[in-house]
Amino acid sequence: MLYLIGLGLADETDITVKGLDIVKRASRVYLEAYTSILLVEKEKLESFYGRDVILADREMVESSSDEILAGADTSDIAFLVVGDPFGATTHSDLVLRARELNIPTRNIPNASILNAIGATGLQLYNFGQTVSMVFFTETWKPSSFYDRVKENRSIGLHTLILLDIKVKEPTLESLARGKPVYEPPRYMTAAQCASQMLTTEEDRMENVYGSGSLAVAVARLGSNDQKIVAGTLAQISTVDMGKPLHSLILLGNRVHDLEKDFIRNFAVDVHSFDEAWKGLVSKP
Amino acid sequence: MVNFTIDEIRALMDRAPNIRNMSVIAHVDHGKSTLTDSLVSRAGIISAAKAGEQRFTDTRQDEQDRGITIKSTAISLYAHLPDEEDLKDIPQKVDGNEFLINLIDSPGHVDFSSEVTAALRVTDGALVVVDCIEGVCVQTETVLRQALGERIKPVVIVNKVDRALLELQVEKEELYQSFSRTIESVNVIISTYFDQALGDVQVYPNKGTVAFGSGLHGWAFTVRQFGSKYAKKFGVDKSKMTERLWGDSFFNPHTKKWTKNGEHEGKSLERAFNQFCLDPIFRIFNSCMKYKKEEVDALLGKLEIKLSADEKDLEGKALLKTVMRKFLPAADALLEMMVLHLPSPVTAQKYRAETLYEGPSDDPSCIAIRDCDPKADLMLYVSKMVPTSDKGRFYAFGRVFAGTVRSGLKVRIQGPNYTPGKKEDLFVKAIQRTILMMGRFIEPIDDVPAGNIVGLVGVDQFLLKSGTLTTNETAHNLKVMKFSVSPVVRRSVEVKNAQDLPKLVEGLKRLSKSDPCVLTYISDTGEHVVAGAGELHLEICLKDLEEDHAGVPLKISDPVVQYRESVGAKSSITALSKSPNKHNRLYVVAEPLGEEVSKDIEAGKIGPRDDFKARARILADEHGWDVTDARKIWCFGPDTNGANLVVDQTKAVQYLNEIKDSFVSGFQWATKEGPVGEEPMRSVRFNILDVTLHADAIHRGGGQIIPTARRVLYAATLLAEPSLLEPIFLVEIQVPEQAMGGIYGVLTRRRGHVFSEEQRPGTPLFNIKAYLPVNESFGFNADLRQGTSGQAFPQSVFDHWQILPGGNPLDPKTKPGEIVQAMRKRKGLKEVVPDVSNYYDKL
Repeated sequence: MLYLIGLGLADETDITVKGLDIVKRASRVYLEAYTSILLVEKEKLESFYGRDVILADREMVESSSDEILAGADTSDIAFLVVGDPFGATTHSDLVLRARELNIPTRNIPNASILNAIGATGLQLYNFGQTVSMVFFTETWKPSSFYDRVKENRSIGLHTLILLDIKVKEPTLESLARGKPVYEPPRYMTAAQCASQMLTTEEDRMENVYGSGSLAVAVARLGSNDQKIVAGTLAQISTVDMGKPLHSLILLGNRVHDLEKDFIRNFAVDVHSFDEAWKGLVSKP
Repeated sequence: MVNFTIDEIRALMDRAPNIRNMSVIAHVDHGKSTLTDSLVSRAGIISAAKAGEQRFTDTRQDEQDRGITIKSTAISLYAHLPDEEDLKDIPQKVDGNEFLINLIDSPGHVDFSSEVTAALRVTDGALVVVDCIEGVCVQTETVLRQALGERIKPVVIVNKVDRALLELQVEKEELYQSFSRTIESVNVIISTYFDQALGDVQVYPNKGTVAFGSGLHGWAFTVRQFGSKYAKKFGVDKSKMTERLWGDSFFNPHTKKWTKNGEHEGKSLERAFNQFCLDPIFRIFNSCMKYKKEEVDALLGKLEIKLSADEKDLEGKALLKTVMRKFLPAADALLEMMVLHLPSPVTAQKYRAETLYEGPSDDPSCIAIRDCDPKADLMLYVSKMVPTSDKGRFYAFGRVFAGTVRSGLKVRIQGPNYTPGKKEDLFVKAIQRTILMMGRFIEPIDDVPAGNIVGLVGVDQFLLKSGTLTTNETAHNLKVMKFSVSPVVRRSVEVKNAQDLPKLVEGLKRLSKSDPCVLTYISDTGEHVVAGAGELHLEICLKDLEEDHAGVPLKISDPVVQYRESVGAKSSITALSKSPNKHNRLYVVAEPLGEEVSKDIEAGKIGPRDDFKARARILADEHGWDVTDARKIWCFGPDTNGANLVVDQTKAVQYLNEIKDSFVSGFQWATKEGPVGEEPMRSVRFNILDVTLHADAIHRGGGQIIPTARRVLYAATLLAEPSLLEPIFLVEIQVPEQAMGGIYGVLTRRRGHVFSEEQRPGTPLFNIKAYLPVNESFGFNADLRQGTSGQAFPQSVFDHWQILPGGNPLDPKTKPGEIVQAMRKRKGLKEVVPDVSNYYDKL
């Protein structure tokens, strides 16, 4: 049996009781470490689980899945995913491959950023499509997220923006040469995301949002030092949210007063927040 | 030798209408350097103390030893037209009667023709030297074609006339016929490459664009010179006289009239050219060589030539040389021809600007080039690097096309890969010093204005081989030079003593800088590889490397030929590859690009920097492409300009442009190292049929797309009957009839075949043209010398790629298969070519 086990958001203790039980008795335990990261070290996990954990990077999951699935037909393999196993679309492929080999799979859900984001006070009902933001390079500034945001905003929905992380990625030059050289780990900050969004607006000029649009930045959601900041994109682009991981929400205009009361507390500057709010709700 | 100070030269530089930048080009051994010498000794602008040696422009010891030119060398000459009347004959603006001629002597051997390319870029005119006995040879044609491609105006000198007279003992009419045949064949080439902007540049003796002479003896004449002499004597119009001295024009002594008819009452008349131009020369030759002292004296009196007492005592050849030199000094004829008929930078840059500049023809930089404006922003092209006496440093040698360059000026140094608005391949640095380069000497100079040739100190660290220097931030590059030869022969080198390795690495860097065409790199197996245009080129490069650039003993491998991987048909099925995360799918087919298109790409006629609409027009009109396809070319490769391309045939795929960059990177990588033996690909067209992408950009970044693009291209190639192309030399051999049998024997043994065999009229020599695989060419010269007892002289130049015959390269039992296997072994790869299933994913 292949178990896909959600680990939750913050530290080792976020795992569910059911999940922990499986981890303890599985023959091998893999920790997927590239779509997201826990805020604690792997060693801490190991001591909490009382067993060894194998780190699975992108290459292992994508290119040598057979290694992970080996023996899963007779014994139990646990595949740990930060957040919820199906929070991102990435792992459906692993399940498909397991099915091909007639290996049964089970899913142990957990909290994901997609629901934990409710902590900002923004109602989960009012979220549109989730998008992700990649690190822009000199030549590669994909703006497909802009169209999603546009669709969301056209019907007044909030947009949750997930931020790129590069835990162990080969540099593009080395990819083109065929011998991977890895970049040092990088995590996008909410500030960088906000400024990339503004760059894209400058390029596309379709007036989907602007430097005065309201957004909420969150960092390390679910941990003891979680941080939530509300402000305009211009303000967010200079705010320091501290250690990773960050996410960003761009507000839609279908908002409830209760939401306002809730996030007003997180405002960088209350006065400008009120101004921006007025601008948001007065929009047709 | 004229003694000039730097200030006087500098003053000449400001008068752009009176500058002539020209190169001397010819087939090997037709006498360029010797001719140049006779010019230098007469008009070279350097202090007398420094001059005086033979073959002034052959500065290297091995050049002197081998008697060939290897590197091109620039010198400045001073010309003075004493007769104000002559100035009126110049068909362009002039400014006084003093002229500055910058002359570049370039190598004739095909292996060094990249030097010629570099020389042509900085000049506007060319003196084409043709041996009157050998006539127009393969390299004459190559350099002429190159010159015309760069919009360079030619004038011709038919050289070595002394040999025709002394060795072959030809008659006047026979000589005339030989001259006119040679000129005719030059004109055939010129008219083949006719360029509207340059106009008709065919050469005619009666227009003064052809000279005849002997570089060795130091004499030459143009018909125009004789024309003006006789015009004075007979009191007729100069140009009318000149017209009459060439072609079917006769002076009938009975009627005292000029006529086109060569007969008078049944008797043939003597051709005017023979009677008026050749006759005095023949008489001098006759009397000097037959030791008829009195006749000589009488002739001298008639021709108003005065000899000193010493000279009068000379006899035979020595006397002949002295007399001819006094009678018809080569420098006079040549200087006059250059000044009158070659364009000044002002004239030339008007029509060259659009072919020189990559950007739009109406931007300020292009306008400044067109006007040769010394006050505009600087536009300077560095065409090559010249080693200095300081080891490891180079002078950047180039031409100022606009603006003025001076020491300390802060310039943008734009390498060949620079694109406007980006920072790649760009440095902003100050020029340390500007210098004048003359033969083996250099002189510092404060500044150099537009239209002149210059050397720069302190730029070499920022440019590999060539590039553009400008002060204008928006300026595009000056066009990168296209070489007519490509580095198809490789040898790997290693040091004998391990501790010398750093010196070798440094030496390879220097070698690569010092030669426009040599290629050095480290192969995947860690070997240091040097690639050159031919055996001789490579030999000279490696000698330089061992003795000069690296200065350490080297072990050099046997030469290895570079192959190309191509396809013979359309992919049998559509190739599909999935990205590692399986969310992105690419569908591609490969098909042959076609030889015509590939050649056009390699010649630079079709390229990545063209306007896509103009490019589509050419592809549709000349190569029968579908216009929609032609407009959707994504890229060329390898190295962004190779003869493989990608066509986007997808329909309505969202965000396709967001993976374009990644796909292109994968394509560059794949075409640089093909699937069969990791050799570069050539002449393959890839069509992207469809693409499935993940909705979110994060799941289709470079990490997902680049390797997938490469895999799908490999799969498509392997599904399209992959083949191996081998380089083929065009060999031209000049040989006497009796030795021809030997040539056929040698060629057949080496898989070569003769496709043309022509006798040079009036000589026992035959011109043989043959194709010879480069792979079989090693030791060919020595073999040929042996087979013909040293009577054959071959010139080999890379001509085309040809499918390696003998079967499927993927099957190790065939000949191509064996070569692939050996190649893979050498490179340290798995010996069996990986099967298509490694790259092809099932749906």
